[in-house]
Amino acid sequence: MAMSVEEVEAAIIEKATKSPKPQLYIKDFYKCDADRKPREIKKIANALVTKGELMFWSSGSTTMYARPDRIQNEEG
Amino acid sequence: MAKHDTPLLDELENGPWPSFVTDMKRQAETHPECWDILGQLELSFKDRITHWKHGGIVGVFGYGGGIVGRYSDKPEKFPGVEHFHTVRIAQPSGLYYSTKNLRALMDLWDKYGSGMTNMHGSTGDMILLGTRTENLEPLFWDLTHDLEQDLGGSGSNLRTPSCCLGESRCEWSCYDAQDVCYHLTMHYQDEIHRPAFPYKFKFKFSGCPNDCVASIARSDFALIGTWKDDIQMDQAAVKEYIAGNYPANGGAHAGRDWGPFDIKKEVLDLCPTNCMWMEGDELKIDNSECTRCMHCINVMPRALKPGKEKGATVCIGAKAPILDGAQFATMVIPFIEVSKDNEYENLIDVIEQVWDWWMEVGKNRERVGETMQRIGLPTFLKVMEVDAMPQHVKEPRSNPYVFWKEEEVEGGWERDVEEFRKKHAA
Ligand code: HEM
Ligand code: HEM
Ligand code: SF4
Ligand code: SF4
Repeated sequence: MAMSVEEVEAAIIEKATKSPKPQLYIKDFYKCDADRKPREIKKIANALVTKGELMFWSSGSTTMYARPDRIQNEEG
Repeated sequence: MAKHDTPLLDELENGPWPSFVTDMKRQAETHPECWDILGQLELSFKDRITHWKHGGIVGVFGYGGGIVGRYSDKPEKFPGVEHFHTVRIAQPSGLYYSTKNLRALMDLWDKYGSGMTNMHGSTGDMILLGTRTENLEPLFWDLTHDLEQDLGGSGSNLRTPSCCLGESRCEWSCYDAQDVCYHLTMHYQDEIHRPAFPYKFKFKFSGCPNDCVASIARSDFALIGTWKDDIQMDQAAVKEYIAGNYPANGGAHAGRDWGPFDIKKEVLDLCPTNCMWMEGDELKIDNSECTRCMHCINVMPRALKPGKEKGATVCIGAKAPILDGAQFATMVIPFIEVSKDNEYENLIDVIEQVWDWWMEVGKNRERVGETMQRIGLPTFLKVMEVDAMPQHVKEPRSNPYVFWKEEEVEGGWERDVEEFRKKHAA
């Protein structure tokens, strides 16, 4: 059974909530739906950022994803 | 007035060369935060460690790139650089700035930032160095609304594509580099402004093998103009060069007396594939051996020109020395048509074939060139659906074995062990 976008979103959020480290690579989400191409997973993850469920976290040269409530803002 | 003592940095003002220390001191007269850069750098020289912190979460709404967060780890000491974020600006293709645009960019940056820039340094982008988080949204508003310019790419995004000035001025351009660059920039807006990959990815477009944007050294996907047929020759002009009536290299390097032009020494002997010779006063080229290096064309531009059947070569996987050394891109597709008529659909197919594979197989923070190196060219060629050819071979093979694939072997790998053991006892 193919997963719906909502199911993939839920799996991504769960992964980002429970991961040992708050920041995840986009690759860490691929397994949330192994049937989808990585570029589709990327689209869903980026849409979650727009919705405020995830945020981008940048190391300077690589961009990662995180749940906003798990990240201490540098300026905080 | 000096805000910090910088005896170590001051040494850098002593030599005959222009010094960034002098520049920053001058800049500090109008942007006092520049004193804190010098103070912090002086401290770094003493401590032998950087006091910049990379990373964090700055950006403008809706974008996941274009701003690179920088903070000082000594903000109490150097409040001017507590935040010192970097802003990437999408440059005009072929770097055609008008002075009006440059002035507007500098005014904008004087208003919202340190006034310091890095105009197309080794990463290629126009970079504005040093601003605070609260200035980012107003800066972005003015940039997009007043200057009608956009941010570039950073992080794991498609980085700002760049190109040579191509057909706009250069007679050697084998395709419209600016148009391809612009078209793909518009086509991949999402990939430029939001993270899309395990790591950065760069496109660069050069109209001919002179490769003025150094795409072969600096981009994951390099499109370099080339031609299929013969170099166009004008024998009468060749004679004019030999007679010394036309200046070699279009008059470049003319600051010194190099003596009379010597076609053997300056052209024939320097052809990397030795495929040129003279028959009497006729210049001959064995075009089947020509590797399109451009040397002879560069030296005698009035006599020689690229051929008429134009297109481009696709090279993939260059990178800077970040992890295990710098590497050039690998030639993957020797000739591809580049045509506006299909909106570069064939290029887009190749690009997405690379992306689909790299996103799946590449490790985190691995450039596509490193993935290719790790997995091996034969597999990569298969992924790209390109047949191996001599030009892909870097050196004679060092491995004497031939590896067969299952489908190439009659009966495949499966066979009946029992049946085999009947004839060959263990
Ligand atoms: C000891 C000091 C520093 C070291 C060792 C250092 C090292 C590096 C390295 C290794 C990279 C990655 C290069 C690449 O991705 O091609 C980089 C990128 C960069 N650095 Fe630095 N850096 C230093 C200081 C600075 C400072 C003081 C600034 C600006 C004020 C700065 C601005 C940048 C920018 C804009 C980039 C490009 C970021 C990107 O690729 O997205 N760096 N630096
Ligand atoms: C208004 C000032 C300047 C202008 C208009 C200018 C212009 C140029 C141009 C057109 C090139 C040739 C690029 C090429 O053919 O690849 C060049 C190369 C170069 N310039 Fe400048 N330049 C200026 C100031 C400086 C300064 C102040 C320095 C050193 C502190 C400098 C160092 C160099 C170097 C090292 C190269 C060779 C780069 C390379 O081969 O990759 N330039 N410059
Ligand atoms: S790369 Fe070739 S076509 Fe482009 S500007 Fe340089 S010489 Fe001209
Ligand atoms: S372009 Fe280079 S390889 Fe080709 S004939 Fe000229 S010098 Fe030789």
